Amino acid sequence: MKSTKITGRVWALTDPQGKLYDDIDTDMIFHNRYLHITDVDEMGQYALDNLEGWKDFSQKAQPGDIVMAGKNFGAGSSRQQAVDCFRALGVSAIVAESFGAIYKRNAINSGMPIVLLPGLTDMAGEFETGAEITVDLTTGVVTLGDKTFQAQPFSQVQMDIYQAGNLFAYGKSLGEK
Amino acid sequence: MGHTFVEKALARKAGLDSVVPGQIVTVRPDRLLTHDNTAAISKQFRKIGVDKVADPGINVIVLDHVAPAANETYAANHKTIREFVAAQGITAFYDIGEGICHQVLPEQGHAWPGAVIVGSDSHTPTHGAFGAFSAGIGRTEAAAVMATGKIWLRVPESVRIVVSGKLPERVSAKDLILHIIGDLRADGANYCSVEFAGETIREMSIAGRMVLANMAAEMGAKNGVVEPDEKTRTWLKGRVTHEYEEIFADPDASYKRVIEYDVSNLVPQVAKPHTVDNVVPVTEAAGTVINQALVGTCTNGRLEDLAAAAEILRGKHIASSVRLLVLPASREILLQAIEQGYVRDLVTAGATLLNPGCGPCLGAHEGCMAPAEATISTANRNFKGRMGSKEAFIYLASPATVAASALAGVITDPREV
Repeated sequence: MKSTKITGRVWALTDPQGKLYDDIDTDMIFHNRYLHITDVDEMGQYALDNLEGWKDFSQKAQPGDIVMAGKNFGAGSSRQQAVDCFRALGVSAIVAESFGAIYKRNAINSGMPIVLLPGLTDMAGEFETGAEITVDLTTGVVTLGDKTFQAQPFSQVQMDIYQAGNLFAYGKSLGEK
Repeated sequence: MGHTFVEKALARKAGLDSVVPGQIVTVRPDRLLTHDNTAAISKQFRKIGVDKVADPGINVIVLDHVAPAANETYAANHKTIREFVAAQGITAFYDIGEGICHQVLPEQGHAWPGAVIVGSDSHTPTHGAFGAFSAGIGRTEAAAVMATGKIWLRVPESVRIVVSGKLPERVSAKDLILHIIGDLRADGANYCSVEFAGETIREMSIAGRMVLANMAAEMGAKNGVVEPDEKTRTWLKGRVTHEYEEIFADPDASYKRVIEYDVSNLVPQVAKPHTVDNVVPVTEAAGTVINQALVGTCTNGRLEDLAAAAEILRGKHIASSVRLLVLPASREILLQAIEQGYVRDLVTAGATLLNPGCGPCLGAHEGCMAPAEATISTANRNFKGRMGSKEAFIYLASPATVAASALAGVITDPREV
């Protein structure tokens, strides 16, 4: 069993005014000029390189870090590279107020923990880059120091796929049962 | 209590009496659409350790994104796909030149009322224009569907958009959907199934309905759908040869939201850079200098779109400061446009005619922009950097507005030309 509690250092994806970005689209996360790349390990270096103020994210991010954004993170294209580039960097979770519909599926199916935290945009000041948070995937409780916030807990299928590793491993585990 | 379109479509497919929003169902989709990304998907498919696709009959593969190949890497990807198609015995394969996947799929009879279609492209909701459930998925999932023939889906909540009134002259489905997205915002229908209904939709052509369903993706929708009618049946005749059972939402179905629009006084709309919901009436964007104009894409590359542009450009010439790119959405449309004389009208007016395909819409080839340049396009996305330079600007509008702007060299209200 994988741990269902993830602790990591926050990268709060803020705009030049210090507000969490909404509507970070798939071209900002993984630009179309890199679409010919098919090897996941090569994708990390380009993560967020088209988001104003975050071009150097891939150099700064460390394995285990947690990415945080506002509403509709991953809007746009179905390109899974926009999830895989974070996996390549070892990002341990993405927390946002909401996600693009296909992005959400891509993340779940790749075993990348994504957490919906309603109201996050309004409480963004609470989460500063560098802060350490713990996300409990089972209960949805996000802990920052002595404060807690209620995110949406994982759904059953999301947890099953996460525990298996990804959709393929999950499918195989069903076949073995 | 009654059920929405998506609840009925997914319940039937899952073999259940009824389903509720939020429920996870496993279904066997009728069609799996993939495009140039089949190269990467086929690699993932092999990793699963299965030799053969579960059901080659559901696969529809169209090479459209970078077609013909722009360089060696893309060419190698296309080659991988052709070999995969041959090895797997996939018959519904459409090589370069056939057109954009979202036009070719219905033209070739792969969309029908009540069908469940998934595709590894975010504009897969387009096929909801035929009364199908049609949604975009990622490449891992596409590989998994190839291997198992199955997919898990979360039953979406439903939003019903009811449109009334007659669209004014030179105001089209594109203006309507831009207006709706500007109103509801880029996440206004997140994870939802959007039903387009009302007298205006019934009056609308199939091409217009495809514009609405296509751009439902830009408000975050899981799928968009228009219930079938006589127009749908006529369009599908000769293309879909098997029986199908139409699905209609119940009158007493429960919606997350019902929103009404009256288009009687709607004016042409423009989405300004860099988000699709940054929408203003054309009068507020008029005068903006443009370097390039594009008529085409899976949103507006159909015969009526080329006709709307030709009507404005016939006998005239575009501004010398503008490059006008025209990409019919498919070979079938290109041939019709030749027969109707639209190709002659457009090319004589100064247009550069490109082959059916996605072209420069996603910035890979055939008309990328330099820094500080601006394009007005009939496409569905204006994200920063989508058509080449990150320092370029993309404005989205209807074919009529794009054609009028190409004439003037600045964004122009098509009602004034």
